[in-house]
Amino acid sequence: MTFFSISTYFSVEYLAIFLPLSVLLYALLPQALRRVILLLASWSFFFFVSGWLVLWLLFTTVTVYLLGLLMSRLQDSCGAALKALPKESRKKAKKRSARQQRILLVTGICLNLGVIIVLKYSPFFAEILNAVLQLTGTDFTLEKPSFLLPIGISFYTLQAIGYLTDVYRKKISADKNILRFSLFLSFFPLIMEGPICRYSETADALWKAPKLRYQNFVLGFQRILFGLMKKLVVADRLNMFIKTVFSSYGDYDGLFIAVAGVCYTIQLYMDFSGTMDLAIGAAQIFGIPVPENFGRPFFSKTISEFWKRWHITLGAWFRDYVFYPVSMSKPVGKLNKSARKRLGTHFGKIPAFAIALFCVWICNGLWHGAGWQYIFFGMYHYVLILGGNMIEPLALAVTTKLRINRSVFPYRLFQMLRTTVLVCIGELFFRAESLDAGINMFVKIFTDFSFSSVLDKSLFRLGADIQDFFIVAAVVVLILIIGIFNERKISIREKALNKHILLSFALSYALIMIIVIFGAYGDGYTPVDPIYASF
Amino acid sequence: MKVIKMLLRLCTFVLGLFILFTSASIVVSPKNNSPASGMEEVSANGILGEKEDTIDALIIGDSESYSSVSPLHIWNRTGYTSYVCGSAGQTLDYSETLLSRALENQSPKFVFLETDAIYRDVSAQNVLLSSLTGLFDVFRYHNRWKTLNLSDFIEQIDFTWTDKYKGFLLNNKSVPSKAANHMKESNTVQQISSVNRQYVEKIKDICDESGAKFVLLSTPSTINWNYERHNGIQQLADDLNCEYIDLNLKNDTLKINWETDTRDAGDHLNYKGAVKVSDYLAEYLKSSGKLSDHRGDKLYELWAEANKAYETEVSKISA
Repeated sequence: MTFFSISTYFSVEYLAIFLPLSVLLYALLPQALRRVILLLASWSFFFFVSGWLVLWLLFTTVTVYLLGLLMSRLQDSCGAALKALPKESRKKAKKRSARQQRILLVTGICLNLGVIIVLKYSPFFAEILNAVLQLTGTDFTLEKPSFLLPIGISFYTLQAIGYLTDVYRKKISADKNILRFSLFLSFFPLIMEGPICRYSETADALWKAPKLRYQNFVLGFQRILFGLMKKLVVADRLNMFIKTVFSSYGDYDGLFIAVAGVCYTIQLYMDFSGTMDLAIGAAQIFGIPVPENFGRPFFSKTISEFWKRWHITLGAWFRDYVFYPVSMSKPVGKLNKSARKRLGTHFGKIPAFAIALFCVWICNGLWHGAGWQYIFFGMYHYVLILGGNMIEPLALAVTTKLRINRSVFPYRLFQMLRTTVLVCIGELFFRAESLDAGINMFVKIFTDFSFSSVLDKSLFRLGADIQDFFIVAAVVVLILIIGIFNERKISIREKALNKHILLSFALSYALIMIIVIFGAYGDGYTPVDPIYASF
Repeated sequence: MKVIKMLLRLCTFVLGLFILFTSASIVVSPKNNSPASGMEEVSANGILGEKEDTIDALIIGDSESYSSVSPLHIWNRTGYTSYVCGSAGQTLDYSETLLSRALENQSPKFVFLETDAIYRDVSAQNVLLSSLTGLFDVFRYHNRWKTLNLSDFIEQIDFTWTDKYKGFLLNNKSVPSKAANHMKESNTVQQISSVNRQYVEKIKDICDESGAKFVLLSTPSTINWNYERHNGIQQLADDLNCEYIDLNLKNDTLKINWETDTRDAGDHLNYKGAVKVSDYLAEYLKSSGKLSDHRGDKLYELWAEANKAYETEVSKISA
């Protein structure tokens, strides 16, 4: 262990030393040096967390930068050459250039996906291979490799591939400045868990390195406090209970498992959205606008809507770089055409939609981790979204027939609760130690359910007592209320800041005191690493 | 002008925060140092309940300290009072905190720092947190919100509790050590981190200021100690110009039997081992000629009582 290392955005080293020091230097230096400070801070942040694994980040930076540049040159030279060529040769030259660009794109994707496949997925693939070898009776087993993963590899790799694809699609021009590109890829508040940004959204703002502004500083600071509250008061306080039930679910009845499933869903949301608050808040302090990653997901009326509100940037990435390319590919296009002819407009579009959606959800499941439970998690949501789309006309007909007004609040509330229950079931499998464990736990909820653990209070003796549950519930309600305001486009932080400085101070003080007093830290608590940092 | 306005706002905000942290600290601090009051590391903090200026020697350190030294055995042999401010996995930032806390009420003539903690890394997080907790108790005792009652808002702090064995862990379990010779001579020096070195210097300075003799003490352990570490501490002791006692090299006198004197295969000593170390320390304190026998002194009546209870317990486990 070294004296100074950073483990997460929630570590004291980051919050009390690294971030304030970076902000201070940023505030004191002129614009030309501010961007340099951001880049140096980003590389050193990576180094403090992952040590020399920073070389993997540099590998991605250099390869994608060079390939993007080459691709851009090909595009430019092709454009110029075409003008000089006779009409009949233009098509050929265009095709050749497109093929060369495609080769560059595929090379970039393969190189960077190759790194992530070797580092993250090779143990899982070795496990599958060994199972196959065992089935065939072969007396040979492959040793399971084990690699150290650099932080944020799943996030910055997607960002890099997105950039290269956008250059290929001519949505953006390749960056000629490797430092600007590197800052886009490695900006420290976002490197660990996203949001997954597009080059067109953040690169310029980062390179501009705007002046520190009081308003941004206060709002960013309060957003960080808000994230700390979610993580330390709710997510980490529930951790011991969740860990105990999930690791030895056989010892507990259905009620324990159901409560643990709900608690895990709350924990995951508070943990991930809390980390996002820290990331976006830090970016806001520097005056860098970054896309939101959460939009009150538990207000969703369908699973499909849920995934437009939960981990928004990942969903958008899969939509733009997996769903659209697959659904617009030639074979799927042909299938779509013929299916529409045979099955009509609604059901005709289902097969093509199903194929593209399958690709998205298998990728989504695997992106979260190398394990069968993650694949199951992806397939679970795939089935729910596909099923929801298929039965939508039927549901509409039934509600119309029954004269149910789908826009009234009670019906919308029912939809929200239904979606939440479905999400909780999915998260139960997601958190389970294995797919088998997930199935057993789910079955146990129905076959071994009793309220005795509430009556004899044993539910409150598994690492979280009744006071812990009470404080968690209070903060969840507080966040729900804030969510309702946000849903109506009202920002409490901005309102407080614009109203009076004392009101803004009071909000900060309230958040700080909630964190300091009710936070799960210090003696008796083990710091919990952010869940998404391991994906 | 803008900068001044900003700085003013910042100062006002920090001042408000200071007031809030101080008020919250007053409320959540345990009003007594007993286990029931929610005191942290109760055994180590039992020193706070000892009568003012009654402790002759302090021993600070990690689990090695409270497993190896029995203050009541030393009392029994010499009539000197000592206390072990030891806690499991203690890092030097906490050793410093405990020492400073103890010295508010006590003026020991000797302070022994068990050296195992010197090789336990202190992270920046430790340093920051211990500074914060040193300033505001709310960071240490925030979890007491669960047990707060009206008295926490009105009562004054009054530490009255002390550990019945004066910080010693009485354990008679015996698990033999398989280590043959853990002190094989070597010229290699195990380096001490600069942060830990600074902490030892700070602890020594505190001792010097209070007039206590600072001694580095390595208690016997086949798992945690070796010659490389001995060399590292010896070098440190030479640099700081302080005494260093490595009991791992004094087995001719100590006669630790690793078959019977350890409770966990050489990691920590058990009661039998602790008696041997305490005998050595009793002799060491005696030979200094700086301390007087307090047995029979009315001020130390509670020590005589504690000793009676200790002897009863010892006779039970020895039977």
